[in-house]
Amino acid sequence: MGLAFSKIDGKSREFYILFILLSVFTLIGFISFMVSYISGHHVLGSSSIIPWGMPITITIYLIGLSAGSLILSALTYVFGKEEYRPIARLAVFLAIILIFGAMIGIALDLGRPEKSWRLFMFFVLNNMRSMFALNGILYGGYFLIGMIYLGAIFAEKHNFIKMMGKIAIFWAALVHMGTGAIFGFIATRPIFFSPIKPFEFLAAAMVSGLALLMIAVVAIFKFTKRNLNEDIIFSLSRLLRVLIIVLAVMVLVDKLTHLYSPHREPTLWLLTGPYSWIFWLLQVGFAYIFPLLILFHPQYSKTLKGVMVAAFLIVIGIFGERFSLVIPGTAYPLPFYPGKIEGIWGMAGSFPITPVESFMSLGIFTLMGLLFLVGLKNLELLPVDEMGQQTSEVAKKT
Amino acid sequence: MPRWGMVIDLDKCVGCQACSTACKNENNVPHGSPDEQRLRRDIYWNKVIAVTSGKYPRVNTELISMPCMHCDHAPCVTVCPAKATYRREDGIIVQDFRRCIGCKYCIVACPYGARSFNSKEQEEEEYHRPDLPPDRNVWGQWPFPTRTHGVVEKCTFCFHRIDQAIKEGKKIGTEVVPACVEDCPAEARKFGDLDDTHSEVSRLLSSRGWIRLREELDTKCKVYYLPR
Repeated sequence: MGLAFSKIDGKSREFYILFILLSVFTLIGFISFMVSYISGHHVLGSSSIIPWGMPITITIYLIGLSAGSLILSALTYVFGKEEYRPIARLAVFLAIILIFGAMIGIALDLGRPEKSWRLFMFFVLNNMRSMFALNGILYGGYFLIGMIYLGAIFAEKHNFIKMMGKIAIFWAALVHMGTGAIFGFIATRPIFFSPIKPFEFLAAAMVSGLALLMIAVVAIFKFTKRNLNEDIIFSLSRLLRVLIIVLAVMVLVDKLTHLYSPHREPTLWLLTGPYSWIFWLLQVGFAYIFPLLILFHPQYSKTLKGVMVAAFLIVIGIFGERFSLVIPGTAYPLPFYPGKIEGIWGMAGSFPITPVESFMSLGIFTLMGLLFLVGLKNLELLPVDEMGQQTSEVAKKT
Repeated sequence: MPRWGMVIDLDKCVGCQACSTACKNENNVPHGSPDEQRLRRDIYWNKVIAVTSGKYPRVNTELISMPCMHCDHAPCVTVCPAKATYRREDGIIVQDFRRCIGCKYCIVACPYGARSFNSKEQEEEEYHRPDLPPDRNVWGQWPFPTRTHGVVEKCTFCFHRIDQAIKEGKKIGTEVVPACVEDCPAEARKFGDLDDTHSEVSRLLSSRGWIRLREELDTKCKVYYLPR
């Protein structure tokens, strides 16, 4: 285990500017949340026909990133792939930050956030037949397991790390499949209803988590002027290729089955209606086709820039995937009675982007950024030096 | 234990929306503005939809009045994480505002669009409910003394009327009925015990063919329609 980790200094001017900027946006986000809490959700875009808006989209996106990131940390700690060890600590820490952000996202979406403790009264006040209540166990457990896992990594207790790593990947997979089940088990909504949803969510989690981790690693190493062993990124990008293909196939199967009745009309509406650009451009384009083209390109796939562009596209594209599930999934009118339903009850819902919701959503991200910075400054997350001199002597000295 | 249900005769219904208005009066459901209606933020406990089929000279319009269907296999009850919506023993699906955390999962799961999210602080109006005063000291489930935003609302089959009638020993279905049934000018709606073979609803259901909405989802709902 000849690898030393260190904190960042966090004394440079850029660090403080970034810190203050993030704090300001977090504060604006908090004020926006208070506005929506006190005056009601009419300041947000959600309504009775599209009940879940931006916060839930962001939440499932963040849960995906988190689960993916944690699973990847296990490459080192469970499967013993030593080449990924320099970034494994960061992956675990990122996973904890992201699940925290996701929990904030759920709380922001609740109409009565002060009652969110009711979600955690398992088997007492909760209806355990609800996927949401079951996910409460999964999320809470995930947070705890992540913390213990990170603690074990800092304490360098290797057998315990390995055990916790196994539990963590199992639980992370469960968390994301559970999140998929929240959507996949709803028979009323044709775009949601699919047994493949949990697995699709898991694949999307792996893809987006890996892409975000790659971006985070490269950005931090560049920013703190550390030398990055680029082979790590390239070998991860080869893994990314496979995962994208798995995800794309699952989405293809899901949409193809939905193109048959009885789900045909809502799915056609999704693929050709007002939200189709999100599906085709963001989800299919940014998340699957463009990254695959880059990652299979003989030259671009060998350059760090090319891989980074692909990772960025994926991170945006998977957000588009979440958006094109949550918002259009409920927007299509329900077929109460055979025939054409006249008036508003037969019209698809629209989702206005409101300033309060946008600032609130931005606030979730900046809060996570803030926590991430604080973590980098106070925890030993980054390897001391990346270029070969990581001997146990160096580790002892630092 | 009775199992309350409703029968709506589509042959008699004229689509006058009296049921919607009566419901708004009885339960103090706020009336929305046109803007709120466009954004789908107004609250409906009972709605009337118009469904057309056919082309111009041969057009048929069905007017379907839709309260909450009070399904026996209610998807909303299954998905509610906080037990805020639950099935009473007499089959009425209740929404408890005190428990509701406002996650809106039930709106997603409801196949009938029967649920509305209260997205703003509503003006306080006096409850038209002479039987129970709107008093904060009354620590029962109902009435919630003041309406609160951030929770999901739905039709209750006017269970305050039913409970009161049981206390007073009145006959439900003839003497006491929900507000929408009472106000229907065409007497298209009937309310009663589905398990009681002597009730009006049982008689109607045995006399004619009936349909229930979205039968394919197997919700076993307790609002029956007698087709034209």
